[in-house]
Amino acid sequence: MYKVLRFFGGTLLALSLSFAAQAVTPTLVVYTYDSFTSEWGPGPQVKTAFEAQCACSLELVGLEDGVSMLNRLKLEGGNTRADLLLGIDTSLTAEARASDLFEAHRMTLQKSSLPQPWQDDLFLPYDYGYFAFVYNKERLDNPPTSLRQLVADEQGPTILIQDPRTSTPGLGLLLWIKKVFGDESDEAWARLSKRIVTVSKGWSEAYGLFLKGEADMVLSYTTSPAYHLIAEQDARFAAARFSEGHYQQIEVAGLVRSSQQKQLARDFLEFMLSDSFQSIIPTTNWMYPATLVHTKLPADFDQLIDPSPALLLNEELVASKRKSWVDDWLEVMSR
Amino acid sequence: MARLNTRAITAGLVLAVLALIVLAPMAGLLNLSGIPGYEPGDLRFWQSSYIRRVLFFSLWQALLSMLCSVLPAILVARAFASQADFPLRGLLLRLFALPLVVPAVVAVMGVVSVYGSGGWISLGRSLYGLNGILLAHVFFNLPLAVRLLLPQWQTIPPHHWQLGEQLGMNAWQRWRFLEWPALREALPGVMLLVFMLCLTSFAVVLTLGGGPKSTTLEVAIYQSLRFDFDPAKAVVLALLQLSICTLVAIVTLRLQRLPEVEIALGSVSKPVAVRQKWLNTLLILAAGVFVAMPLLSLLIDALGGPLWQVIGTTRLWQSLVTTLFIGLFAALFSVAAGWFLLQYSASLSLAGKTSKAQLIDLAGSIVYVVPPLVIGSGLFVLLSPHFDVFAWVYPIVIAINAVMGLPFVIRSLGPALRQNHARYHYLCQSLALQGWNRFRYLEWPLLRQPLGLAAALVAALAMGDLGVIALFGTPHSATLPLLIYQQLGAYMIPQATVTALLLLVLSLTVFWGLERVIGGKTDA
Amino acid sequence: MLEIKQLEFAYTTEAAPTMQFNLSVAAGEILSLIGPSGSGKSTLLNLVAGFLAPSAGQILLDGIAIETSSVASRPVSIVFQQHNLFPHLDLYTNVALGVDPSLRLSHEQVDTVAAALDQLGLSDLQRRKPGELSGGQRQRVALARALVRKRRILLLDEAFAALGPALRAELIEVVKKLVRDNNMAALLVSHQPRDALLASARTAFICAGKITALEQTGDLLDHSQLVEVRDYLGLV
Repeated sequence: MYKVLRFFGGTLLALSLSFAAQAVTPTLVVYTYDSFTSEWGPGPQVKTAFEAQCACSLELVGLEDGVSMLNRLKLEGGNTRADLLLGIDTSLTAEARASDLFEAHRMTLQKSSLPQPWQDDLFLPYDYGYFAFVYNKERLDNPPTSLRQLVADEQGPTILIQDPRTSTPGLGLLLWIKKVFGDESDEAWARLSKRIVTVSKGWSEAYGLFLKGEADMVLSYTTSPAYHLIAEQDARFAAARFSEGHYQQIEVAGLVRSSQQKQLARDFLEFMLSDSFQSIIPTTNWMYPATLVHTKLPADFDQLIDPSPALLLNEELVASKRKSWVDDWLEVMSR
Repeated sequence: MARLNTRAITAGLVLAVLALIVLAPMAGLLNLSGIPGYEPGDLRFWQSSYIRRVLFFSLWQALLSMLCSVLPAILVARAFASQADFPLRGLLLRLFALPLVVPAVVAVMGVVSVYGSGGWISLGRSLYGLNGILLAHVFFNLPLAVRLLLPQWQTIPPHHWQLGEQLGMNAWQRWRFLEWPALREALPGVMLLVFMLCLTSFAVVLTLGGGPKSTTLEVAIYQSLRFDFDPAKAVVLALLQLSICTLVAIVTLRLQRLPEVEIALGSVSKPVAVRQKWLNTLLILAAGVFVAMPLLSLLIDALGGPLWQVIGTTRLWQSLVTTLFIGLFAALFSVAAGWFLLQYSASLSLAGKTSKAQLIDLAGSIVYVVPPLVIGSGLFVLLSPHFDVFAWVYPIVIAINAVMGLPFVIRSLGPALRQNHARYHYLCQSLALQGWNRFRYLEWPLLRQPLGLAAALVAALAMGDLGVIALFGTPHSATLPLLIYQQLGAYMIPQATVTALLLLVLSLTVFWGLERVIGGKTDA
Repeated sequence: MLEIKQLEFAYTTEAAPTMQFNLSVAAGEILSLIGPSGSGKSTLLNLVAGFLAPSAGQILLDGIAIETSSVASRPVSIVFQQHNLFPHLDLYTNVALGVDPSLRLSHEQVDTVAAALDQLGLSDLQRRKPGELSGGQRQRVALARALVRKRRILLLDEAFAALGPALRAELIEVVKKLVRDNNMAALLVSHQPRDALLASARTAFICAGKITALEQTGDLLDHSQLVEVRDYLGLV
């Protein structure tokens, strides 16, 4: 009888202690995009590394992509569980700012491998990439050397692109052309449209079609060939270097205003800027880490093209003009 | 009359739940004007030629796709009905269940593999346009239509075939007097379902459509909710889509004719030997090859890929189990909901109130056209202030998939249930055979087959669903379609192909299993 | 006129014994077939109509073999117990189908149809659909169609089973007149011995795929010494 009581008493004690311990271990909730949280993305390694140093539990919630993340946050408003948002890019930051859901990070960027200085007090960058047209070297041996050439050459390669209404790279190309051609963008699109095989919903569809040989080039990132090189030992793919430069996509993280774990969140942001996080990025996210020195990148990254100068439109401009630019594009493409 | 009231109550409950799941989220989205950063879209949008073009194209491609799918399906189903002893008939019919399961993006890859520049029957760049859209839509919907129409041939009394032969009817006359009347109950519903499927088809139209000329309402809704963050506009567009479909549904269901005399008792109608045996064989083979080709290309690609690497991961098996779980539960709830709705509809039919009965059918069918994105986002708005929505992912996904599956239940189970009710209801009343006993002794044995098909269809649909689950954060275990999408988004196309193959194998097994277990052993 | 010689048939599905039939029917005669369920009565009708193919034997009409002819070319009309009519067509069309399934009738043919409907008392109902008629009326329509076809052989497969006694008697009179006036040979399958009495001078008893008795109706029904017949009729 006594033994039974002791057993139950002990179990109860152990249980309550573990509950107490759980209550003590805080959880940091980070909204990010799907490929971040997947098995082969940065997520698992980031989680292990951060939990080792924080005495907390990191919960990464994967939400389709950057746009979904921000929208979800807006829909949830002040009730959101999220402490941090990780994975929106610079085409969305103005909107994110306007939503009034974020709080200043109050940190300084010690070292940055970004080509331009970072001045945003609300968001911190963790990686970046450049859009480029990727091709198969065995199929195309004379890729265009500039965006103008791609647009102007009637006999040029066929391309696969994404829809700016539904995809970030799609929007990226729209902004790229706008940056290079300015007021002549509509004519540029009209000329280019003859060589567009199809405009897909998202990056996956376009890239998949490209790998099936449906077109000569696909709009993707300068770092895409790195995947094939490193993960598949396949050296057939390369990105075409354009003399005007390549449009840049910087991915950022932001602290959610309604978070109950602000200190922990700021710890994470600091961790995010540190080498232990940054070194995970290249071969899991296939982008350039924002604060990691070039020498610390995997060797095969040397084979990637130099995308400079980095092109980027002012975020306020993008936010205010995006809709009308997309409408113009629709008009041209529907002729 | 007491019986009718119980049915009315259960049906009413189901309709109330449906309305809640579909309408409440839209109301929630409309109510969002108070949040910062929200600017209502301007009215010029509604007057622009853009929206007119979008509307026209949506309807046009859906109509064309529907005709190209259903009309051949009638011929193919007829061929199947005539050749009861065609070898591998059962296998072919199971094959026809697969396109429903395949996630759209995988199907697009399959279609491109076959008809693209590097494909077996290359159409080159002309694939990307209306051609591609039609090909993909026919791939998805022709098999479905065949499976939904084929049982109607069973309703033709054997004596009619015999009389037809004696009276010297030729093939056209047999069609006119025997087969067409048998189809008139089911055909409008099938046409409506396929129309809705093509109208709301998103990835197919966008990717194979070739460009923005091929924009549909779904894309506009998607764009307004995601990129423009204009929930009000999204809801209005969704309501527009819903209203159009309701109109189309009313028109098509008006064409529906219930048979005037009830059918033969349980006997399997084996049509007398048809002279065009070779033509039928050709039709069946052509349909089989058409459906099989994209699937075959997927198989070939997958087998050439990292098969064992993918199979060896625990993530795959977790996803598989989750997928199975969602599929089976969605099927359960969908079939149950459909059952109650159809029972009420059948009793209304018997009482002569056919318009009311059709209204119930309509309500159950029309829910399909409200985009899951709208429902999902709306649910977030409504529910997240009250509890952690992410913890409830699975029940919500199951619920939405059950709602999406309802039109399939109504199409596959509806005609049989109505006929069963018409034939036996008075007998049951006189014997006071009701409730569980009635189900156990009467309805289960006689309705097993369509119940099996209904459950299998919903399960397949839910297992292949990407739209609903992608809205929610992925907890530890994803589903197979989500896994495929993640792999596709991470350059891992070979792995995605393998996962897609495994999804197909799982779905085929579940489909076959459900049909066998619920439907019983048949030679149909 | 109608001779069935050593006609053999066996269902392949069950381990069924081979059925064998021998009988002849004179012109203007209705031969009744009675016997237990599953004994082969309907099978015999199906063989004569051509829906089933015999494994051996002959079916002769006026000495000409018809067992190898196609169903449509056989001089046979059949009336089933139910499902004789196409429910979505009106009576007129249902009967007209008997003349020409393409429904393109010459003036004479139109008159023939009208006459048949009249003869069977259906002229007022010709625009109605089968669903609006009683069982008896529907069977009349079927008979009207058989009438317009003018085929020499008439088969009735439990055609009156669903009707009440008075109606049955009335329709049997109609059939008798039909058969007499048009010199047809008819086979009537029924479960009611009374039908045989009303319709036929001779009746055949079919049991287990064979005709075990063929005699005057009265003798068969009242005085048969065969065990199976007495069992079937419920005679002690």
